[in-house]
Amino acid sequence: MSEPIPTTDERGELHGFVAEFDDVTSVTRAARAVRDAGYQKFDVYSPFPIHGIERAMGLRSTHLPWIVLVCGVSGLGLALLLQYWTNAVDYPFKISGKPLFGIPANIPITFEVTVLLSAFAAFFGMFVLNKLPEHHHALFEHPRFRRATDDGFFLAIEAGDTRFDSKRTRELLQSLTQHPVVACHAARGGDHAPSWIRVGGIAVALIALLPLAAAVAARTGDTTKPAFHIVNDMDSQARFRAQVANPVFADGRAMRPDPAGTVAFDGLIEDPVVLTGKRGDAWTTTMPVAVDARVLARGRERFGIYCAPCHGGAGYGDGLVANRAKDLQEPNWVPPASLHDTLVRGRALGQLFDTVRNGVRTMPAYGRQMSVEDSWAVVAYVRALQRSQNGTPADVPEAKQAELGAR
Amino acid sequence: MTSTSTALETLGPRGARWSQLALGVGVLGAALAAFLGSQFHDGFARFQHAWLLACVFWLTLSLGALFFVVLQHLVRAGWSVVVRRVAELVAANVVVAAVLIAPLVVWAAMGHGSLWSWADPESLRASPLLQGKAAWLDGRFFAIRCVVYFGIWIGLSRWLLRHSVEQDSAPDAKPTLALELRAAPAMVVYALSVNFAAFDLLMSLSPTWYSTIFGVYVFAGSVMSFFAAAVLIVSFLQGRGLLARAVTVEHYHDLGKFLFAFVFFWGYIAFSQFMLIWYADLPEETEWFHVRLAGSWKLVSAVLLFGHFILPFAGLLSRHVKRRVGFLSLWAVWLLVMHAVDLAWIVLPPASHGHGAESHAGGAIGLVDVACLVAVGGVWTFALVRSAANRSLVPVGDPRLPESLAFENL
Repeated sequence: MSEPIPTTDERGELHGFVAEFDDVTSVTRAARAVRDAGYQKFDVYSPFPIHGIERAMGLRSTHLPWIVLVCGVSGLGLALLLQYWTNAVDYPFKISGKPLFGIPANIPITFEVTVLLSAFAAFFGMFVLNKLPEHHHALFEHPRFRRATDDGFFLAIEAGDTRFDSKRTRELLQSLTQHPVVACHAARGGDHAPSWIRVGGIAVALIALLPLAAAVAARTGDTTKPAFHIVNDMDSQARFRAQVANPVFADGRAMRPDPAGTVAFDGLIEDPVVLTGKRGDAWTTTMPVAVDARVLARGRERFGIYCAPCHGGAGYGDGLVANRAKDLQEPNWVPPASLHDTLVRGRALGQLFDTVRNGVRTMPAYGRQMSVEDSWAVVAYVRALQRSQNGTPADVPEAKQAELGAR
Repeated sequence: MTSTSTALETLGPRGARWSQLALGVGVLGAALAAFLGSQFHDGFARFQHAWLLACVFWLTLSLGALFFVVLQHLVRAGWSVVVRRVAELVAANVVVAAVLIAPLVVWAAMGHGSLWSWADPESLRASPLLQGKAAWLDGRFFAIRCVVYFGIWIGLSRWLLRHSVEQDSAPDAKPTLALELRAAPAMVVYALSVNFAAFDLLMSLSPTWYSTIFGVYVFAGSVMSFFAAAVLIVSFLQGRGLLARAVTVEHYHDLGKFLFAFVFFWGYIAFSQFMLIWYADLPEETEWFHVRLAGSWKLVSAVLLFGHFILPFAGLLSRHVKRRVGFLSLWAVWLLVMHAVDLAWIVLPPASHGHGAESHAGGAIGLVDVACLVAVGGVWTFALVRSAANRSLVPVGDPRLPESLAFENL
């Protein structure tokens, strides 16, 4: 047994010696002895983690935390860069009035990518540092080595250690256990995986590239075929789009107009002045509908909803939207008119009505949002607003004139 | 652990000295706080905010400890047995916060709105928004709820301590099994009580504002502050020869892991609360942050972001920091200060904005807050040391004590 063993024989190159132990205490003691003898390339195999074995073996702490840290920080930076590039540079797109690159909105993605890359680094880094996957190991030559997953404890010293000596190393191990020390050999021809695994792996990798190739082809080429629908839920519907011919009707119109001489329920307004704001060819200068406190209150409410966001609560063109656009220096923004300009104040009531209904310049039409009655109520309120902002002492009732002078 | 070493693990006569010292500091702090509070000439409104801040700060330490103890029984934890008695004592100390906060609650129940502005029936009537909450924001109902919260905490913590002490000399594991059996419902009751107490004591300082995650936010800071305090208390005791053989670096490491985890959890919850409000940008939700992102509070918000989250996160990341008691203690002190700043950031802005013309414009954290923290802290420490005086600081009869003593991190 103390015969020196040649480092290679018919079984292959010598991998090392492996000794078996009966319990945690003896394998830990053996690890300490091997460590103290100056060996570094050796390992302990046990069915469960042994507290303090890393100190008994003299193991240095792993580099894995540093790998995880570097990958985590990379994930953080990459995620921020990705969001900055996609949303603020490549395709600037304003969402909910938020800045193009708003840190709070970007934190969730940044957090996720940081965690993802950290987890990948920990998982795959562990594999790499443990030299996994390994399809075969020299230690399997030991007839009882499989018991390392059940109740066996083993310690193996590798031949690659600088202190390895086929005679003295064997004697050292044999002095620590009463089980016979076994020499293990690296299999000839390496430990390659079976060829079908390699072929299969390459095939799967190639198939995995197909979607990417299809995407590249679609992005770079032209096609006249309709888009490919993977999920077809509401893409095709039995309806007509605007301006599409409908063969059912003689006139071919898909969007059916009201039949001649009909109006919708509650839709009949006979007075053309009320309907258009025009008396003959000229804008009306008097209200064609009755105005009372209720109408003014209604006008004030509608004004607050539809007009004030741009024109401002008092009508000076300083609404929230206008101010925001000014702050952002939006290049295409046309500021809303102040309702107290001489020009606007001089407009006939009918023309104001027409503006509300049909819009003017960049101001959109509100005829779809507001009924005719409400539009007139807004006109009445605008006129009242103009009076309120451009009053003269003469507007004050005579009974109160005295108070005016007192100021 | 045998009975001979049990004798070593009690405070003994030193306890009396420490408790007298703490009480003296507390009384001095209270006198200083009362003097500073009178200087505002606002009927002690500012002082009440400082007092609430101080009470809640020491209350949250006990609430964090209560969570920890219930959790250990819930998961039948083995590692933590040697530090669990300290946590049990800190949790049972919740009675101090109950006594010291009671005058504020009674004052509010009597209809004075100097702290909780809604307690004044006039201010409730003046606001249509608050009228919708009038059923909940009612002084007497509020006082009843506070009695329920503190009743739950006092009862739960005393029950945990009593069974644990019983186990010290019990012939079998029956007391521990009783605790483990009831830990799950206790956790549910704890979660609900802390959540609603956070709404009542802190969120209602801004009565028109609401955030459904607010209770979790306060909880996260509470548990974090307890782990910081646990590190400091245990290392203080070890420095005086107590727990010397029971607590090892492995236990500090685990306390440090919890501390790190709850630093992050606090940051996660704080950001979740902020981001949803920031993104939706609804006036009824943004008012709370609007005040805290203006004036001097903007600086405090930045201090919280870096001091309560980013810096300690980076600083506590490494296991080497968590295994060096000196470094860990430094971070623990730092985080306790940050927890106080966090609570000040919650409690004080309404003091400088809420109450009309006589308010303290630009009010920020001041000397009166520090004095109140010292005053309440002195009384709190006094009671803690007194309750610990004749008890073993290690649950010597716990069936999992051997596991805890032999505990090692992998």
